[in-house]
Amino acid sequence: MNTWVKVARYNLMMSANYLVLPLILPFSFAVGAVTVGRSGHNAAGYLLSFVIYFAMLGMQTIGRSLPFGLTLGASRRSFYFGTALLGMALALVSGLVLTALQAIERATDGWGLSMRFFRVPYLLNGPWYATWLTSVVGLFALFVYGMWYGIGYNRWGLLGTLAFIAVQALVVVAGVVVVHFEHWHVWSAAGGSFAGLTALGLTGVIAALAVLLLVGGHATIRRATV
Amino acid sequence: MPELAGLDEGTPLFVQVADRLAREIADGGLAEGERVPSTNELAAFYRINPATAAKGVNVLADDGLLEKRRGIGMFVATGARQRLLARRRAEFTQRYVDPLLSEAARLGIDTDELFTLIKEAGHEREGASL
Amino acid sequence: MTPAISCAGLTRRYRDHTALDDINVAISGGTITGLLGRNGAGKTTLLRIMAGQEFPTAGSVRVLGAPPAENEAVLRRLVFVREDQAYPDLKVGQALRAASWFYPNWDRALASALLDDFGLRAHKAVKKLSRGQRSALGITIGLAARAEVTLFDEPYAGLDAVARQVFYDRLLADFAEFPRTVLLSTHLIDEAAAMFEGVIVLDRGRVVLDAAADDLRGAATRVSGPCLAVEALAAGRPVWERRRLGSQASIVMVGPLSADDREQARSSGLDLTPLSLQQIVVQASTGVLAPADEASSETERTSA
Repeated sequence: MNTWVKVARYNLMMSANYLVLPLILPFSFAVGAVTVGRSGHNAAGYLLSFVIYFAMLGMQTIGRSLPFGLTLGASRRSFYFGTALLGMALALVSGLVLTALQAIERATDGWGLSMRFFRVPYLLNGPWYATWLTSVVGLFALFVYGMWYGIGYNRWGLLGTLAFIAVQALVVVAGVVVVHFEHWHVWSAAGGSFAGLTALGLTGVIAALAVLLLVGGHATIRRATV
Repeated sequence: MPELAGLDEGTPLFVQVADRLAREIADGGLAEGERVPSTNELAAFYRINPATAAKGVNVLADDGLLEKRRGIGMFVATGARQRLLARRRAEFTQRYVDPLLSEAARLGIDTDELFTLIKEAGHEREGASL
Repeated sequence: MTPAISCAGLTRRYRDHTALDDINVAISGGTITGLLGRNGAGKTTLLRIMAGQEFPTAGSVRVLGAPPAENEAVLRRLVFVREDQAYPDLKVGQALRAASWFYPNWDRALASALLDDFGLRAHKAVKKLSRGQRSALGITIGLAARAEVTLFDEPYAGLDAVARQVFYDRLLADFAEFPRTVLLSTHLIDEAAAMFEGVIVLDRGRVVLDAAADDLRGAATRVSGPCLAVEALAAGRPVWERRRLGSQASIVMVGPLSADDREQARSSGLDLTPLSLQQIVVQASTGVLAPADEASSETERTSA
C-alpha cells in the first residue's frame, strides 16, 4: 500500500469528522426549503455550509492527525499529499452527489417547490459535467486551503495565523483595487476577459489556485514540528 | 532496586554472571557435559541485556570451562569442576584466612585463641547438623 | 560496522537557549543504550532529531546510514515512542491498526499480548485513557512495530512498578528474539540499568559520559574509614568526592581495585562500596565528570 493511501485511510479512521458531510446536506437543504424555498426563491446560499465544512475538514486533519501520523513514520510530505488525496476523494464523491441532486432538482422542477438549491447561479448552472467539475475543483481547493490554515496554526500559532489571514486580505484588496483602477488602462484586456469568464473558465482559475495552495501548504509543512 | 535475581549493581554484571555459573559448576548444580542455559535464558532470568549475559558465558568459554557445540549451545567441559574447585582452594587463604587473621589481630585475639574458636564453631555446626 | 545511529557536531539552538551542543555519538546496531541525564539535559530534543521530528541547527544525524528527516526509507524502519504523544480521536484498536499499516514488521500477536499485559481494551477511546494507559499504548506500539531503530523517550509516565517490569521483561524477551537498536531515555536508572549495554549521559546539552554500562559498574568505589588510611589508599588517584567527619573520611575513588588494594583496605579497616551505575551517572550529571576529552585535567583539579 502506498504511503499516501495509508495516510488517507488513517485520516478516515476519525470517521466522526466525515460523517458530518452526508448529514450537513439534508439539514441545510431542509432549512433552505422551510425558509426561502417555499416562496420559490433561491436557496442556494445554504449550500455554502456544506462547502465551508470542507475547509474545516482540511484544517482539522493537521492539528488532530498530524502528530500521531508523524509518529507512525509518515514523512510530512506523505502526510500532506496523503491527506490531500483524501480531500480529492471526498471532493470527487461530493461532486457526484451534488451533480445528481442538481439533475433531480431540474427534473422535479425544484423539488416541486420551484426551489433552487443545487443550481447556483452562474457557478453551478450548466451541463452536468460542468457542475461536477466545478464542484470537485472548488471543494478540493477549499480543503487544501483549510489544510494550509491548520499547518499555519501549527507552525506560527494564533498570531501567525492572523498575520496569514491579513496578508491574504491585503492581496485580495490589492487585486480588487488594481482591477478597478486599472480597468480602463492596462487591465482593459485582462479585465474584459475576466468579466466574460465562463463558469468553466472560472473553474480553470480555481484549479490553478488549488495548485498554488497545494504548493504553499507543502512548503509550510516541510518544517512543521509536533 | 529492580529484581536482578540477586545480582548487584556495583560489579560488572558479566563478571557476576560468570561467577554464578562457575559456582554452579563447582557445586555440581551443572554437571560436566550438561548444557548451560542459553544467553537469552540467562538474560531473561537475571533481567539483563543478552549481550551482557553472552559476555559472562564467554568468560568461562575462553577459560576452557565451557565448550561450544555448534548449533546446539554451550556445555560444561570435562574437568571443569575439578579446575574450579582447585582454584577455589587456592583462593581460600586469600579470601577467608587473611581477613580472619587481620580482624583477629584488630580485636586482640591471638592464634591459639583463634584455633579454639574455630574448633568450637566446628563442633557446634556438626552438632546442629546431626 | 557502521553505527545504526550517529551524530556529528549535532547542535540545536532555540531562541533563548542551546538544547544540544556539539553532540558526537555513535550507537552500534543491535544494542540497547540508555540515554540518561537530568530534566532539560537535551534527551528529548536529541531523540526528536533522530526521529526526524525536529531539525538540527548545525551538524548532522544519520540513522541506518541516512538522514532521517523526511526520509521514508529510514522512517518506516524507525519507531519513536514519545512521552507526550498526542493522539487523534481514535480507539486503542484503531491506533494499533493504523500502526500495523505503517510498520512492515508489525507483530499483531505481540500487540494483543501487550494489551492483555497492560489491561488495555481495544475498543476504549484513546482520549479516555489514563496517563499510565496512554504510556502503555505507546509502549505497545513501540514494541510491536519491531522497528530496526526503536526510540523510547521516558515511555512510562504514570505506569506503576508492575507495569514497568512488564515493559522491561517484554523488551528484553523480544529484543533477544528480534535484535534491534534500542535507545531509551529514562530517569529510573536503577530500574533500567541492567538492560543497557551502553549509556550516554547528557548534561546541559553536552555528552558527559558515553561508555559501556558494564565498564562503569565498579569503576568507582566509595572508601570510608580512618582519614589517614583513606588518603593512603587514594593517593595518586582521581577522587570525585571527599567528605570528612572528625577522624573519619569518606571519598569516591575512581579506577578499578586490585587485590592488593583490597588487602590494604582490609588490613587498615576501610569499607569499600562500589558505586552503582545510577550513582556514577549522578556523579557525571552533577558536573564532576567533564566531557571525555577533558577528563584528565578535570580529575587533576578535583583530586588536588
